[in-house]
Amino acid sequence: MTPTHHPKEEKLLEYFSGSLDEGMRLVVAAHLEMCPSCRRLLAGLEIAGGTYLDGLPAAPLGEHALERVLSRLDESEVSQPAPRAQAANDLPVQIRALAPHQLGRWRWIGPGVYWRSVTLSQQGPMRVFLLKAAPGTQLPQHTHDGTELTVILQGAFRHEGGRFGAGDCDDADDTVEHRPAVEEGEECICLVAMEGNIRLRGFLGRLIQPLVRL
Amino acid sequence: MPDESAIATHDHASLIVAVAKNRDRIAFAELFNHFAPRIKAFLLRGGTPAELAEELAQEAMLIVWRKAYLFDPAGASASGWVFRIAQNLRIDAARRAQRADRIATEFAVEPAEVDAPEAVVDAVQLEEKVRSAMAQLSPEQLKVITLSFFESRPHAEIAAILKLPLGTVKSRIRLAFLRLRALLDEVA
Repeated sequence: MTPTHHPKEEKLLEYFSGSLDEGMRLVVAAHLEMCPSCRRLLAGLEIAGGTYLDGLPAAPLGEHALERVLSRLDESEVSQPAPRAQAANDLPVQIRALAPHQLGRWRWIGPGVYWRSVTLSQQGPMRVFLLKAAPGTQLPQHTHDGTELTVILQGAFRHEGGRFGAGDCDDADDTVEHRPAVEEGEECICLVAMEGNIRLRGFLGRLIQPLVRL
Repeated sequence: MPDESAIATHDHASLIVAVAKNRDRIAFAELFNHFAPRIKAFLLRGGTPAELAEELAQEAMLIVWRKAYLFDPAGASASGWVFRIAQNLRIDAARRAQRADRIATEFAVEPAEVDAPEAVVDAVQLEEKVRSAMAQLSPEQLKVITLSFFESRPHAEIAAILKLPLGTVKSRIRLAFLRLRALLDEVA
């Protein structure tokens, strides 16, 4: 099954141009690994961008620009290929983008629901974590005051926005209020980047919130 | 005409490979002569002041030298790869300008992240498809893709340029990308 829910265009473009923050970038990268359509779109845009660049009328450079750059080649010597980080986690789905990140332990946060931290290289307003929910779990109803980006690594859930299966990306913002229900069958594992606070409702929500400091 | 550009594209790709493998300065100079003035033009078009555009164009070429080993001729187009470097650099510079005190960060050009584990289709094939997909977009769609993606202009600025309400611009951009995605999916 190829994903049918993708990140919003702005996010893909920000990913492409390198302006997405680390947390969001990680989730988009995970989606890309699972989504041939988005890979094709970005690869296509890169090619189109190249054609655009090739077609621009040249703007003359200053005198000796080439000499200046040639003289600087040695000072900026070669970055060697970074050794590819090993996937050192026990997740059932291997995501290359997650490999360099340290994962915490699964922590119980409610009936059938587990939470696991993902460490980023820089502390920022964005937090990234994994959620695991047993088949059939009804997750607490919640709204956000920031943005949230989720990619489903395994299993599936449904909410008002549709069905989200493996590889799908749920690109929610503060206007969304939803109450995801995990499908029967497989346990559902998601990678989530979240900015701002999530407001959970109901008994389960009040139970969970202090535990995960969402 | 398509032949000529195919040869040029191929040439640039092998020049980048020569830089990566042999640290070939002559190959690099050739790449410089083609790309540096175009990167400068690209930056000027986006409103970068001339002096900074000159500096960044040189910087971009230094990145080409340093990161050439990351270029995969089977999975990416040469000019697309350079475009991405230039775009990253522009955005990074704009960010640095906002936070003048921040030390320049080594930004990452990571084509591997985009170019799939199992390549989507090979670069030459995809290039053909992209060309035909772009040709099938309406002039209106091409315009918003150029402004929003190639020139990274904020939506509000695009609205001003096209004299359209912001909401219309947003939905037009969305539709243009949806159409491009559909066209690229079709040929997969």
